[in-house]
Amino acid sequence: MKKALGLALAVLVTAAVAASAQGRPKAAEASTAVSCNSTLKIALVTPLTGGAGFLGNEQASWAKYAVKTLAKPLGLKVQLVLGDTPVEQGAAVAQTLAQKYVADSKVVGILGPSTSGAVAASSETYGQAGMAHISPSATRTSLTKGAKLEASNAFFRVVPGDYIQGPSDAKFMVDKLKVKKVVILDFQEPYSVGLADSVEGALKKANVSTTRLSAPNTTTDYSAFVTRVPSDADIVFFPTQKPGDAQTFGQQLLEQGKKAKVFGGDGSNNAAEFKLAGSYVSNFAPDITGIPEDKAIIDGWKKDNKGKAVGSFGPPSYGATQVMLQAIKRACVAGKGTIANKRAVLRQVKKVRIPNWILGGEFRWSTKSNDPLNAKFYIFQIQSNGKYKLVG
Amino acid sequence: MDTFIQLTVDGLTLGSVYALIALGYTLVYGVLKLLNFAHGDVFMVGSFIGFGMLQLLGGSADPVLPTWLLLTTITLAAMVGCAGLGVAVERFAYRPLREAPRIAPLISALGVSFFLANSMQLLFGANPRNYDTFALSGGALYFKGVDIGNVKVPLLRIITIAAAIALMVVLWFLVNKTKTGKAMRATSYDREAAAMMGIDIDRVIVFAFVLGSALAGAAGVMFALRVPTQVSIGFIAGLKGFTAAVIGGIGSIPGAMVGGLILGLAESYTQGYWDTRWSDLVVFSILIAFMIIRPQGLLGRADLRKV
Repeated sequence: MKKALGLALAVLVTAAVAASAQGRPKAAEASTAVSCNSTLKIALVTPLTGGAGFLGNEQASWAKYAVKTLAKPLGLKVQLVLGDTPVEQGAAVAQTLAQKYVADSKVVGILGPSTSGAVAASSETYGQAGMAHISPSATRTSLTKGAKLEASNAFFRVVPGDYIQGPSDAKFMVDKLKVKKVVILDFQEPYSVGLADSVEGALKKANVSTTRLSAPNTTTDYSAFVTRVPSDADIVFFPTQKPGDAQTFGQQLLEQGKKAKVFGGDGSNNAAEFKLAGSYVSNFAPDITGIPEDKAIIDGWKKDNKGKAVGSFGPPSYGATQVMLQAIKRACVAGKGTIANKRAVLRQVKKVRIPNWILGGEFRWSTKSNDPLNAKFYIFQIQSNGKYKLVG
Repeated sequence: MDTFIQLTVDGLTLGSVYALIALGYTLVYGVLKLLNFAHGDVFMVGSFIGFGMLQLLGGSADPVLPTWLLLTTITLAAMVGCAGLGVAVERFAYRPLREAPRIAPLISALGVSFFLANSMQLLFGANPRNYDTFALSGGALYFKGVDIGNVKVPLLRIITIAAAIALMVVLWFLVNKTKTGKAMRATSYDREAAAMMGIDIDRVIVFAFVLGSALAGAAGVMFALRVPTQVSIGFIAGLKGFTAAVIGGIGSIPGAMVGGLILGLAESYTQGYWDTRWSDLVVFSILIAFMIIRPQGLLGRADLRKV
């Protein structure tokens, strides 16, 4: 009897400990004030390795350049630290990094996280600590819009959300490509599911026939999925975060004699990996080499990054860094040379306006959300020489 | 009917890769009674060796060799490289534990798996490597092929399936028609008795690792010819290869071949006819079912117990 009671007690205690370990623990917030004369840190949380590593590395190079060229004129000493969140490892890595940066008093702001899944996993932690996190690429709608927001009110993004990308991609397919049948594939993670839902909804409203498929994010061979693509389908909407997979899928479509073209979201935007002629890609940034005001920035970046081409993920990262540095400067002025805590920077973010925005025009925040005002998506078609041509 | 043919071709292609991986598991288990959990990562290393050799030979866009010779060369390079890796793994991670309790080499195998995966990540990063096979011969491997009804079976798939069959035939010959193969079978049946008959057990075990790892290397190249490879592929591939070996009968060479093909077909038909999300569920449910209903697998033999 005693043994049974003892065992039951042990089980109860174990269950209680396990239950208390569930959910996201409140991160230990560093509350020490920091002097604006010291070296402040901002952390870029992005996938630097894995299938989406191209995105993170591009963003890192532009963020580094922004810190190098913009911090000093603002009278700031800033160090950029990098946190890797490979998409294959899921969202737990982002949460671990969030706790680390929240606990570091020198880290006054976050650039990113870059992926929607990582934002959803870590935004609550940043929010509780009052830490501004400005993403240059997380586009999932429910991060900032909808009945149940996945991100805290400390989350900002300098690019439009999928509530713009989805309908604009669908509109292009309907108006320009005159599609009748579209297959939509998601990868069972927040970014692709949200974007796929958005596109599917818009296409259905336009009376386009849609077929929905779902692949685990670890899928590498899409043969069976390609088999399920009807031979008369016009487009396969493929919102992957791994451009190599878009290339593989497109090749397997050709292999099986399917006429459908691949239409990738912003996550597949990489000319080095996704270069199948005739395919489409949508992205939240134009080609900034076509913006005359950006020439000096581009030339300077190229000097530091010899042999690299200007992509579309880097410039928003530059922009996000610019916004963060301005917010830090404002916090320093308001705090008379001291940043009392991370919230001091957060309070300034929404006040930032950038007249000569790297993506063109002026940057302002929407009054209704933490999204940019009047942002749009751009659609490119891959040419036979592998170049991306703006078509919508 | 066209869908069935297409899915069957897909399944056989995938199953061929699984069969080659499963053979490695089975060969090692047969002689050592050890589940070599590092085998999936040997497969991954093979795909990287193939990629490296391909770049050395000019890459897919501008190769210095004709396509058939290029593919043969990179496959052989991967096989030789992985055979060497297999020998090293056996020598340093398993041989010292041969007389230890069975759990020790098992844990060592897990450790080797993590070691290989993380070493490769440190050395080469986690970014995917694309063989860009589409660029070879202007896409001929994709566009040329054989028609079965309305379904075109591209050259690349034919090559994958044919190469896997050829390797399995060579393996069968080595195991059944050579002296060393005979020694392997004897060791697999009763290691102590084989040693007493004068068979060099160490040499036999090394031979098993050489063969199994070489097959994994070949499988790595065949896999990566069709999809980008990266450091993380070893784990799932190893699991599926292990599942195929169990389904066929761990320790049975024909069983491993059959198990691999069954697994590939099961995955393909599930994705094609049912739901693409449930293919892994089906695959591992088959594993569980076999473990419960027929643990010796399709072609394995049940363990005899003295009563």
